[in-house]
Amino acid sequence: MAESLIATGRAPWFDVEHGVLDRRIYTDPDIYAEELEKIFARAWNFVCHETQIPDPGDFFMNYIGEDEVIVVRDRSGAIQVLLNSCPHRGNTVCRAEQGHTNSFLCSYHGWNFDLTGGLIGMPGEDTFYRNDVDKSEWGLGRAAQVASYKGFVFATLDPEAPPLEDYLGWVGRLGIDTLATHGDLVAVDGVVKNRIKCNWKLAVDNLYDWYHVKISHGSALRAGLLTDEAMAPMDQMVILGEYGHGIGGPGMSEEQQAEFDARMASGKGEPQWYDLQAQRRLDPAVRETLGPIGTRCLGHPNIFPNLWIALTRQVCLRIPRGPFETELWWFTFMPKDISEEERRHTMFMANHVFGPAGLLEQDDGENWSHSTRGARGTVTRRQPLNFSMGRGHDRVEDDASGQHRIETVVNEHGQRWTYQAWQEWMLADNWQELIANHSMPPKGVV
Amino acid sequence: MAVFEDLSLQERMLLSFEAQEFLYREAALLDEKKLDEWLALLTEDIHYWMPLRRTTTAKEVDREFTRPGDMALFDDDLQTLNLRVRRLGMGRAWAEDPPSRTRRMVTNIRILRCEGDEILTTCNFQLYRTRLNSEEDSWIGRREDLLRRVDGELRLARRHIFLEQTVILAQNMSNLF
Repeated sequence: MAESLIATGRAPWFDVEHGVLDRRIYTDPDIYAEELEKIFARAWNFVCHETQIPDPGDFFMNYIGEDEVIVVRDRSGAIQVLLNSCPHRGNTVCRAEQGHTNSFLCSYHGWNFDLTGGLIGMPGEDTFYRNDVDKSEWGLGRAAQVASYKGFVFATLDPEAPPLEDYLGWVGRLGIDTLATHGDLVAVDGVVKNRIKCNWKLAVDNLYDWYHVKISHGSALRAGLLTDEAMAPMDQMVILGEYGHGIGGPGMSEEQQAEFDARMASGKGEPQWYDLQAQRRLDPAVRETLGPIGTRCLGHPNIFPNLWIALTRQVCLRIPRGPFETELWWFTFMPKDISEEERRHTMFMANHVFGPAGLLEQDDGENWSHSTRGARGTVTRRQPLNFSMGRGHDRVEDDASGQHRIETVVNEHGQRWTYQAWQEWMLADNWQELIANHSMPPKGVV
Repeated sequence: MAVFEDLSLQERMLLSFEAQEFLYREAALLDEKKLDEWLALLTEDIHYWMPLRRTTTAKEVDREFTRPGDMALFDDDLQTLNLRVRRLGMGRAWAEDPPSRTRRMVTNIRILRCEGDEILTTCNFQLYRTRLNSEEDSWIGRREDLLRRVDGELRLARRHIFLEQTVILAQNMSNLF
């Protein structure tokens, strides 16, 4: 790799105090290479949902940065995350996106690996190799740690990473809980995948962006797919967590929650924009899990670096494919034991809102690809980008439950937090440094 | 039930010609963006569906497409197709403003069977799209179209679209197939 950009004095890229970003982080190939090393190879990355691979031998292929991984259930029922690369010549040992197998046989020379990645054997083990190869040392590479939170499986390639639950913290866990509390989830067959010529961070920062909705998605709102009130309400809530996790978007005020509860109890009153999401949180056990603030929070969580948990019972990975290209992977979940009507509504939303043909998402890709393209111009890229919305005007409020939040209007707190965290990840040389030097969520005025 | 192969050559030629003319005219309406006229060719119960496709091993190739009811790129009825068309006419439909340029090639049209008022056809297609100065997309695939005679005129009652791509190599699918 080229000399560290930090060592060359070109960092920091993000002026946290003023919310000003050096847009070269979207296009610089050295920065991209460093991201793969310092962010993707270090973080806990979502790899699949447990129900995608229910039986021993079931596998699903995914990426951690540009490292291709096979996520497979072994014969003991445990989930293994293996590097898809034969240690003989480096060839991939799995070419299907998903499926079922008894072992992974390399198509080049026939080295064969079991479901835990262990080398079973190879042609000519005795005749050509004269039994010289210690098979226990030449299995497939494995993720350093694999863990699952409420069915969502994560892996990290860094043995120094803290345990998943610590990494997620209460904000990351709450982010997943906002979906996991919908019920006993089962992945719907089919991961929608498409490629956009944009830097992955533009796709990530957009998930906190409730400013673009009325413009970018104006046509979908005007055509009546979703209402203005539900898509871009005035009431917004932001929750910032350690290591860059966050939740940003609509939030019910305490008064709105009280109105909703009274209406549900009395059966009297007018429907409101928050009803659909609030109805999913009527169960006291769900409210207990989400906490008093989490119950009112209806925004978009991001598990840093690149897992968006959407309100449509979907999650979306933004997978980097070089500085100028990103793959979006949409996973959809269906709670068991829901009515046929609710099942149909879930599939309607999953098939019509996001994805390349989605009535909303069709119009996103071009904005992100042109924002990336803009950062390639020699002089254009010297002009920084403005992320200042709402800075200095809002306050982090604590709650007796320990949950804190910002309650405000449309803002860019989530985006600023993402780039601040991104910068801290890039400045740290290892997990020890990141743990010691990362910012805790802000308090007071933000 | 009339089996296509059992019809006389002349009957088969007439049916084939009629089906071809319909599919060519319908593709031209999409290329010319006469979308309201296109919608008028659909039956009330149209099912417009493009499943996902995945790379599988040869052994599991029967699982490469998602099934009806699972995730799809399109899973539309007349109402949602209307919504797609209406959205494009609303302004701020940025993926089509400036508009893309499309050209549809419909070929290898065959009649798989005919029964009563319905003709089941299959065809190969290419949808070529350019946009702005440098964006270029191309989709090739196979379609199964069910045509139904309503008041003497053919209408499209079902369209199943099977693409040759797995990961969609385009930033959107803002057009109809």
